[in-house]
Amino acid sequence: MNYETVIGLEVHVELATESKIFCSCSAKYGAEQNDSVCPACCGMPGMLPVTNKHVVDLGIMAGLLTNCRINRVTTFDKKSYYYPDLPCSYQITQWFSPICVDGGVEIETSQGKKIIGLKQIHMEEDAGKLVHDDWTDTSLVDFNRTSVPLCEIVSKPDLRSVEEVIAYLERLRTLLRFARVSNCRWEEGSMRCDVNLSIRPEGSTELGVRTEMKNMNSLSAIARAIEYEQARHIDALERGTEVLVQETRRWDDVKGQSFAMRNKETAADYRYFPDPNLVPIIIDDEWFDRVKSEMPELPEVKAARYVGELGLTEKDAETLTASRAMCDVFEAAYPLCGSAKDTASWLIGDCMGMLRKKKLTADDIAIDPVKLAEIIKMVTAGEINRNAGRRVLAAVMDEDADPRAYCEKHGLAAQNDEGAILEVVKKAIAANEKSVQDYKNGRTKAMQAIFGSIMKELRGNGDPQTIQRLLKEELDK
Amino acid sequence: MDREKLIPLEKLNQLALTEEETERVLAAFAAMEAEEAQLAETDTSAVERMVFNIPLKNILREDAAEKNFTRDQLQEGAPEKMDGYWQVPRLVE
Repeated sequence: MNYETVIGLEVHVELATESKIFCSCSAKYGAEQNDSVCPACCGMPGMLPVTNKHVVDLGIMAGLLTNCRINRVTTFDKKSYYYPDLPCSYQITQWFSPICVDGGVEIETSQGKKIIGLKQIHMEEDAGKLVHDDWTDTSLVDFNRTSVPLCEIVSKPDLRSVEEVIAYLERLRTLLRFARVSNCRWEEGSMRCDVNLSIRPEGSTELGVRTEMKNMNSLSAIARAIEYEQARHIDALERGTEVLVQETRRWDDVKGQSFAMRNKETAADYRYFPDPNLVPIIIDDEWFDRVKSEMPELPEVKAARYVGELGLTEKDAETLTASRAMCDVFEAAYPLCGSAKDTASWLIGDCMGMLRKKKLTADDIAIDPVKLAEIIKMVTAGEINRNAGRRVLAAVMDEDADPRAYCEKHGLAAQNDEGAILEVVKKAIAANEKSVQDYKNGRTKAMQAIFGSIMKELRGNGDPQTIQRLLKEELDK
Repeated sequence: MDREKLIPLEKLNQLALTEEETERVLAAFAAMEAEEAQLAETDTSAVERMVFNIPLKNILREDAAEKNFTRDQLQEGAPEKMDGYWQVPRLVE
């Protein structure tokens, strides 16, 4: 019998805010344990939550990006469960009136295009972190992450394969990163995914027994976990290896197996009820329109514009639009230097290369576009050669140096005086008799050795094309 | 509400009810359910959901991070702490 896999995803993303959702502690990742905490996010008695307005902005933005309907009246609710990483013994989330409902994300796979429906997106607070200490046989609690703002994006059970799941997650990640809703860093846990999966005979319209795998934070783990669960469910159905029950499972990526954690809770177990400490949020037209006006041009639209209007190659346009930060620098720099192609070439070739060497990504680019444009203009005008331009670029990227001052300080101005270059060329020819002889005997590569000594004499600042031309002319005399 | 449904609630709330308390809680639930059944007879289809019981909305703050407490201040009353963490009995999932 052929089976169909039915998958729905719950994706949690940490929102890109300065402060937490219900208190003003820093939401920045990586602080020392319990350094970003206050009585409110530690759940001390009497402390009241106050909603961070920017969280609501980002919630609306997430909904607009995924074609959701925005609930203009949205409220917070308490979800009760008892665990030490949750100091109030309840999580503030949205149950009765989530901020976004009924959306869809278009994905493209080898099977073509498809819309994955979204049930809802809701805002909520994250829980803290537990570290289990074997030595003292205790658990250690860190509340830094408690109350960090999250959006949970709940898909409909529209996904059918690993390929679709990966395409969906990548698309979501691109959209959310591009609009700066979240940095979606899997490795930092700012994007996490719960997979709900069931199997049914092909053609059937009834859903099978569903299991949920929680908190996976890499695409490869998600892919392996889905394949494992598919096989486990099919074995259970075909060979009766076990009785499938609705439950929450934990994926062990090292062992490549999933293990039962607990029977799946139902909504009733969480005793949802409206949070009386948080008043309703009413999103009026002015608020909605403001967020809408802040929507960025989406990557594929941008890429088409870069190709159509600016004459970039499709590959360059795609590389640039993979990162919003790159696009921002590109769009600010190219009008200043007058060449979109040169700007793209410097960003893709040189800036990205320098970032890669430091194990950074395109999104980490931190360069003043005015300074980048200045370097490009100086190279184009022949004031410095490309190699010197790269040195200046490194100084600008590393220490925000002033390009002109840096060139002056390090004597990088290009030697453009042909007469002076010719003198150096003649000296080099006189000093490299063997290479000259080799060249005259047909070994044209010998010219490179002489070229090298000329460049050395000019401290790397001669225009390579001028040197090549003068050298060839002298050698061919 | 019956005894079977009360057991998980008792567990979730970390309670151990005596027989007498169980009877009392079940009686209280029965009274509430009767009242609710009476309310359910009212036609509320044209009534909008009350989202909040006082006329307040949009109490929000700007997104600015502040540090008003040190870790030591917050952990002053902690029964057990270790290396800047609150220390609790070991949890096994």
